[in-house]
Amino acid sequence: MKDYQKYIRNFSIIAHIDHGKSTLADRIIEKTGLVSKREMREQFLDNMELERERGITIKLQTTRLVFNSKDGNEYIFNLIDTPGHVDFTYEVSRSLAACEGAVLVVDATQGVEAQTLANVYLAMDEDLEIMPVLNKIDLASARPEEVKEEIEEVIGIDAQDAPFVSAKEGIGVEELLEEIVKKIPAPSGDEEGKLKALIFDSYYDNYRGVVIYTRIFDGRVKKGDTILLMNTGKAYEVTEVGVYCPGPSERKELKAGEVGYICAGIKQVSDARVGDTITEKEDPADEALPGYKRVQPMVYCGIYPAEGEKYENVKDALEKLQVNDAAFHFEPETSTALGFGFRCGFLGLLHMEIIVERLEREFDLAVVTTSPSVIYKVVLTDGTVKMVQNPSNLPDPVKIDHIEEPMVKADIMVPKDYVGNIMEICQDRRGKLLNMEYITENRVNLHYDMPLNEVIYDFFDALKSKTRGYGSLDYEFSRYEPSKLVKLDILLNKELVDAFSMIVHESKAYARGRFVCAKLKEIIPMHQFEVPIQACIGQKVIARETVRAYRKDVIAKCYGGDISRKKKLLEKQKEGKKRMRQFGTVEVPQEAFTAVLKYDENK
Amino acid sequence: MTRTSNFGIYIHIPFCVRKCRYCDFLSFRCEDDGILRGYTEALLKEMELKSKDLRYRYADSVYIGGGTPSILSAWDMGKILETLRESFNITDDAEITIEANPATLTDEKLERYLRKGANRLSIGVQSFDNRLLELLGRIHNKNDALYTFQKAKKAGFENINLDLMFGIPGQTMKMWKDTVRECVFLRPAHISLYSLQIEEGTEFYEMYRDGRLEEVSDSLDREMYHVALRVMCGAGYRHYEISNCALAGFAGRHNMRYWSYEDYIGLGPGASSFIGGRRFENLKVMTEYLDALKEDVSPVDTENIKSYSRREEMGIFVFTGLRKAEGISLEEFRDIFGEDFFSVYDQRVLKKYKGLLILADGRLYLSEKGMDVSNRIMTEFV
Repeated sequence: MKDYQKYIRNFSIIAHIDHGKSTLADRIIEKTGLVSKREMREQFLDNMELERERGITIKLQTTRLVFNSKDGNEYIFNLIDTPGHVDFTYEVSRSLAACEGAVLVVDATQGVEAQTLANVYLAMDEDLEIMPVLNKIDLASARPEEVKEEIEEVIGIDAQDAPFVSAKEGIGVEELLEEIVKKIPAPSGDEEGKLKALIFDSYYDNYRGVVIYTRIFDGRVKKGDTILLMNTGKAYEVTEVGVYCPGPSERKELKAGEVGYICAGIKQVSDARVGDTITEKEDPADEALPGYKRVQPMVYCGIYPAEGEKYENVKDALEKLQVNDAAFHFEPETSTALGFGFRCGFLGLLHMEIIVERLEREFDLAVVTTSPSVIYKVVLTDGTVKMVQNPSNLPDPVKIDHIEEPMVKADIMVPKDYVGNIMEICQDRRGKLLNMEYITENRVNLHYDMPLNEVIYDFFDALKSKTRGYGSLDYEFSRYEPSKLVKLDILLNKELVDAFSMIVHESKAYARGRFVCAKLKEIIPMHQFEVPIQACIGQKVIARETVRAYRKDVIAKCYGGDISRKKKLLEKQKEGKKRMRQFGTVEVPQEAFTAVLKYDENK
Repeated sequence: MTRTSNFGIYIHIPFCVRKCRYCDFLSFRCEDDGILRGYTEALLKEMELKSKDLRYRYADSVYIGGGTPSILSAWDMGKILETLRESFNITDDAEITIEANPATLTDEKLERYLRKGANRLSIGVQSFDNRLLELLGRIHNKNDALYTFQKAKKAGFENINLDLMFGIPGQTMKMWKDTVRECVFLRPAHISLYSLQIEEGTEFYEMYRDGRLEEVSDSLDREMYHVALRVMCGAGYRHYEISNCALAGFAGRHNMRYWSYEDYIGLGPGASSFIGGRRFENLKVMTEYLDALKEDVSPVDTENIKSYSRREEMGIFVFTGLRKAEGISLEEFRDIFGEDFFSVYDQRVLKKYKGLLILADGRLYLSEKGMDVSNRIMTEFV
C-alpha cells in the first residue's frame, strides 16, 4: 500500500428506502465541515427536486470529504451514494464495486427489510467490509438490541459493535466517522501500473460533455491522456480530471485508490456506460474489470407528445435524458391512436414514472404514456420466436403456437400480521408461494414466483397499501414460462384505441376489462353522443360501459351586449378541452392513460 | 369594419323593487325617488356626452333594460325618451323597447311611454305558475302578468315581448307546457325563452349549495326547450334566435344587432359599447359612474378598454352570429375580415359536429339540436 492510500476511505452507505441514508450522508458532510450548516440543504446528496420530493435517491452523487481523526491524521473520505430502489440494482452494484466498505444503515425501529438484504448481498458479492449502523436511535420505538440480533441472524455479520446514531439529531456521527477510519480498509492498487478505472456513474454536463465518476484501481490519469473504454471500444482525449467536494474541483491527476471525475468530450452517457473499464489507449490493461453488463430494460411503454406538444421537443428531451441514463432506451414508434411517439424501455415501473415526471417537470412537456408492458416471447407455429414488448405488435393469434412471459423471484418482507394480506394480493396476481421464513418472531420473508407483468401494474402500490407501508419488495428475473395470455383491446365508440391495448393473462382479462371500462367511464366527459366503451378479446366483447350523451351545453344569456363575458366563458371551456386527446370523435383526457393503471383500493 | 352606418343604443336602469333570487345582473334594490331622479339626470348627461361623436349617424334601435326600467316614474322615463331624440338622430322607424315588470307598470306610465315614442314593451312574465314566481322571488303573480299584458295592448302597444323561463327548480314539464300554452294563447308579437342558470353570488346559488334547491336535469331542461319551440312554431312563431321566437316581422332589431356584428353604444354603469370597431365599457361602480358625470366627464372605463386581435374579433363574429337561426354568411365574413372562412377555421369542424353545425347556401348555422350544445361548438371558433 502506498503512503497516500493509507489515508483514503472509499465507502457507500446502503439502506432501505426511508431508513435515513440521505440524512446520515448529510450529517457526515456537515461534520466533516465541507458545507456549513447554513448552506446545508436538507439531504445534500439528493440533488434532484424529484428525489427530494419522493424522499428517494435516484441518481448517485459522490463527494470527497476531509476528516480529521482523533488519531491525528487527516483522512480523505470518498462517500459514494447509491440509489435506493429495486429498479437500480445494477447501478448500486457498480457503485459498491468502487468501494472497500459499506455502511449499512438499519432503522432501529423497523429492522431488516427486503431491500436491505438485497443491497447487503450486492455488497457481499463485491467483498466489501460491511459496517452496520443503527439509525433513528432517538425514537421511542427504537429497539436497537433486537435489531442487532436480527442483523446477525438474517445477514450473518457481526453487529455487536454497531454504532448507535440518530442522523436526524446528529447523535453518534462523530463516533461513526472514527469507526469508518478503523474498520473500512484503505484502498490498494499500483499507481505505476497500467490504468484500470471503473465507471460507476456518469452524467451529462452542457459545457463539459459527459462527466464520468470513476474509481481508479491501477495507474494514473491526467489531462491530455487518451483513454480507451474497454467494453464500448471507444477512445477519447481527457480534457479534465478532478474531484467533487462537493462542487467540481480540477486536479492534476487521479491515481490508484482515488475517486474522482474525468471529462473527455464524450457526447452521450451511453458511450460511458456504468461498469465499463477505463484504460490508456497506448498502453491498455490486459483485461477489463469484472462485472460489466449492459443493462436490459424490463418494462416498456409508449411515450407520446400530448395534444399540442411537438414531437421534436419530446425527442430532444428523451435524448437529453438518455444522455444521462444509460439504462433508458427509446426508439420511434407510431400508434394509430396517438400518432408519432416513442417506445421506451425502463428498468422497472419506478424508473418509468421518474422519466415521465422528469419530462413533465424539467422539460415542461405534456406527454401521454401507454400501458406498460414486459417483453413476451412469442413462439409462432412455424417455430420462429418473436420478442414482443408492444401489445399492438402481437402477431395474429392463429399464427401463435404459444406465448411465454417473464417470471420473477420476488422477496417480500412484512411484519407477520400482514402475511394474510400479502398472500391475498399475490394470489390475485398469479403469484406462487415458494416458501416463507420467519426472520424474527415478528417478521416474515415470503418468497414468491410471480409473472413480471403482474408486478409492473400496481403491485407495489397494493403492497404498500395493504401493509401500511411496512412491506418491502425486491425482485429479480428468473425465467420465461409458457402462459395463457391474451391481448385485451379497448374500443371507444367502436374504434380501437391501440394505446390502451394490453397483454393479460386469460384468467385476469375479464376483471381487467371491467376495471378499465369503469375507470374510463369515470374519466371520459360526456359528449354530444353516447360513447360506448368496450373491452374485447379479438372480436369478443367482454366488458362494456357507456358514457351517456351530453344533453346541454348552452348558456344563452348574454345581456346588454356584454360579449366579453361570454367570450371568456367560451375560452375557459376551450382551455379545458386542450387537455383532451382526440380519438376519432371521442375526446379523452390525458390522465386516462395513467388512471387505468393505478391501484384501486376498492376494486 | 362597420358596415351599417346605423347603430343601437342600450340604456341600463339598474334598479329593482327587489332582487330576484336567480339574478346576477348589476342592479340595486331601490325605490327612492331622489336616487332614481339623480340617476336619470346622470343618464341625460351621458347621452349628451356620448352623442357628440355620433352627430352624423343614425340610431334605429333603442333598448331600455335593467334592472327594472318601469321602476322609474313616468316623468323620468319621459325625460329619458325625450332627451334621446334631442341628443341622437333616431330614425322614424326605430324600434324603441322598454323592459317592464308587471307589478310596476301603471296606465300612466304606459301612456307616457307611447307618447314619448316607445313602441315595444318587454314584459318579464317568466312563468304563469304562482308558486314558481314566488320561488324565483318575483314581485308579481300570474294575474298581474295577464292584466298588464292586456292593459299594454289596450294602451296601444302592438309589439310586446313576453319573457319566459324554464329549467326552474321544481318546475315540471306539465307546469312548463301550461305556461307556454297560456303565453301562445295571448299571442304576443315576440316570446323570449331562457333556461335558468344558477349563478354564483345569487340567492339561488346559496340555496343550491345548501341543498335546498335541486337543479333541473340537463335532459329535462333540453326537453322543455324543444317542447316550447314546437308549440310556438306550431302557432306561427319563427324561432329566429337561440332564445327568441317572433311572429313574422317582429324579430327584435336591437337584440339581433348584438349577434350581427353591428354597432351599439351602452349607457349606464357597466354598459358595453361596440362602435366604429372599438369596444369599451362604462365604469361598473355606481358612485364612480355618477361622480364622473357630475363633473361632465365621460364615464367610460378608459383603464380597461378591451382590444381584441383580428382573430379574436373573427371569433366574436362567429360565436355571436351562431346564435341566430340564419347563422353567419361566409361572404359577409370575407367582406369584414378579408379572409376566407375556411382558410381561418378547419373545415373538419363540419364533420365533427355533423347534424349540429350546418353549412348551406353560403351560410353556417346551428341546427335546433346544435343549439343545445352551442357553447361547445362555439369554442371551436374562439
